[in-house]
Amino acid sequence: MRTNPLLEKEFRQRMRTMRTPVIITGYVLCMVILTFFLLYENVQGQLYLVQPTKSQQVFVILSLLQMVVVAFLTPAFAAGAVSGERERKTLAVLLTTPLSPIGILLGKILSSSALLVLLVVVTLPVYSLVFLYGGAVPQELIAVLGFQLFTIVMIATLCVLFSTIALRSTWSTVLCYGTVSVMMVVFGAVGYGLKMMYQQNPIELFSLHWANFILALNPLYVEASLEGAVAGTGRDWLTFIWFYVVVNLVLLIPSLWRLRPQWFSRLPGGRSHTEKQYQ
Amino acid sequence: MILTQNLVKRYGKMVAVNEMNLSVDRGTVFGLVGENGAGKTSTLSMLATLSTPTDGYAYINGYEVSRNPREVRRSIGYMPDSFGVYDELTVMEYLRFFADCYDVDRRLVRSRAEELLERVRLTDKRNTYVNALSRGMQQRLEIARCLMHDPEVLILDEPSSGLDPRSRMEMRAVLQGLRDMGKTIVISTHILHELAEVADEIGILRKGELVAVAAIQVMLQHSNAYRTLVLCSQGDDDGMMRVLAEDKQVLQVERGRMGVEVLYAGTHTQQAALLTRLVETGVRLTQFTEKPTDIEDLFLRLSAVQEGM
Repeated sequence: MRTNPLLEKEFRQRMRTMRTPVIITGYVLCMVILTFFLLYENVQGQLYLVQPTKSQQVFVILSLLQMVVVAFLTPAFAAGAVSGERERKTLAVLLTTPLSPIGILLGKILSSSALLVLLVVVTLPVYSLVFLYGGAVPQELIAVLGFQLFTIVMIATLCVLFSTIALRSTWSTVLCYGTVSVMMVVFGAVGYGLKMMYQQNPIELFSLHWANFILALNPLYVEASLEGAVAGTGRDWLTFIWFYVVVNLVLLIPSLWRLRPQWFSRLPGGRSHTEKQYQ
Repeated sequence: MILTQNLVKRYGKMVAVNEMNLSVDRGTVFGLVGENGAGKTSTLSMLATLSTPTDGYAYINGYEVSRNPREVRRSIGYMPDSFGVYDELTVMEYLRFFADCYDVDRRLVRSRAEELLERVRLTDKRNTYVNALSRGMQQRLEIARCLMHDPEVLILDEPSSGLDPRSRMEMRAVLQGLRDMGKTIVISTHILHELAEVADEIGILRKGELVAVAAIQVMLQHSNAYRTLVLCSQGDDDGMMRVLAEDKQVLQVERGRMGVEVLYAGTHTQQAALLTRLVETGVRLTQFTEKPTDIEDLFLRLSAVQEGM
């Protein structure tokens, strides 16, 4: 089976620039320095003072930090994926090839997330330092890694779909960073706000229900709660997955319309659109 | 090979293509000529499956563009009027990428790419990055890209636009080479004289309507019915003007920088008789020549005829 030609081309284009090794090296260096700093800070220079609970804290901080970094880096790689093709005037030619719109989107999503996935994978040895002192268990690491990879692909998908719908990279970038900010900041703040309302007035079960739901859409909250999930108590990650899968599926419809309006021309009013989106 | 039946394209209330009926035989180079906004790009984008006809049908290689777009895409190589390239790829990688998009057998890709690069005169640029190529070279690379999957039909939208005269000549040579390959080609342009050396047939598009379709030779013969003669004389201009005024085939007389320009509707025999009369009257002619017919003139005349209808 032949690999998606777009994926191969994008890999080639991305990996041959100096930017890629610089980003990877810089990121790994930062993570290493931070890990040493956190470990050192926890024990105040007395390595025999290391306790498993402290090591667990370092693991959580590192993984949350990594989540923030990759969440905000993903739009930088994906926000111009399709709109960039349109702006460079290469999209029209691509659409006259037998590549399907799904194939184009898939190639763009995978190539946009590839570097981020690589970033997460190359930092795995850094996490191993945490295991030296106990605290976190390998299942937690696998859960965190899996969740981070899912979140990267999910954000990349959102960004590629936005870049297909928005026509211009500027708008697409605004939409992508806006969405990531809502996920990372707004959902967290609103969720905790509702939870505090419930704590002050325990009768309001309504606010507790919504607090739990909204917090389950926040990647940082879900990642922090993965310890419980590994122990079999939390199911927030499931809410997170189905919600964002549904959002992506909904956004897929206008994206396909942008790429192949002919598919929708048999629907009522389908022929009245301008079909100028290739230029 | 290419057939349209009452093809219509509307954008809102604007009619871009109106009831177009066109037939292009296999191996024919068809030039679609028209001013900006005449509907050339709208027609070609429908043929290239990029937009859906509002009404009517278009067939390529027996496949209807709305119903069998996948088969149509495999049958065509499309070069849009304004296109971009993937800058960070080399010429060879660029061609290989599009070969992969069309699922071309990998064992054939290299040899076909080499053959096409030779055809478009870019062999020595095979390892050059695409962004280092001049605009003319990029345009020729696009032609090679269109041919990577060996399509039967080429749809080229203004392939020479934005090129300097030298690159335009090189492009013309490439297009002549394509004609020799036996491909069915549709070329749109507003630079008419370019088509005279390349196209077999020309269709003139005006405000979305195909106002004339003819073989290029027939068009040029037709244009002979309205020849422009250039006359110069020593001294006696008035005598020359009197003779010209008496000839019923003389439609228009204008004094130009090169001499007197006469729009003449007579046959070659009548033209010879006019020359004899001028000489017999004592007009001392230093020049009596027929101005080469420009296809552009013909286009303007036909357009004017349509305008008057």
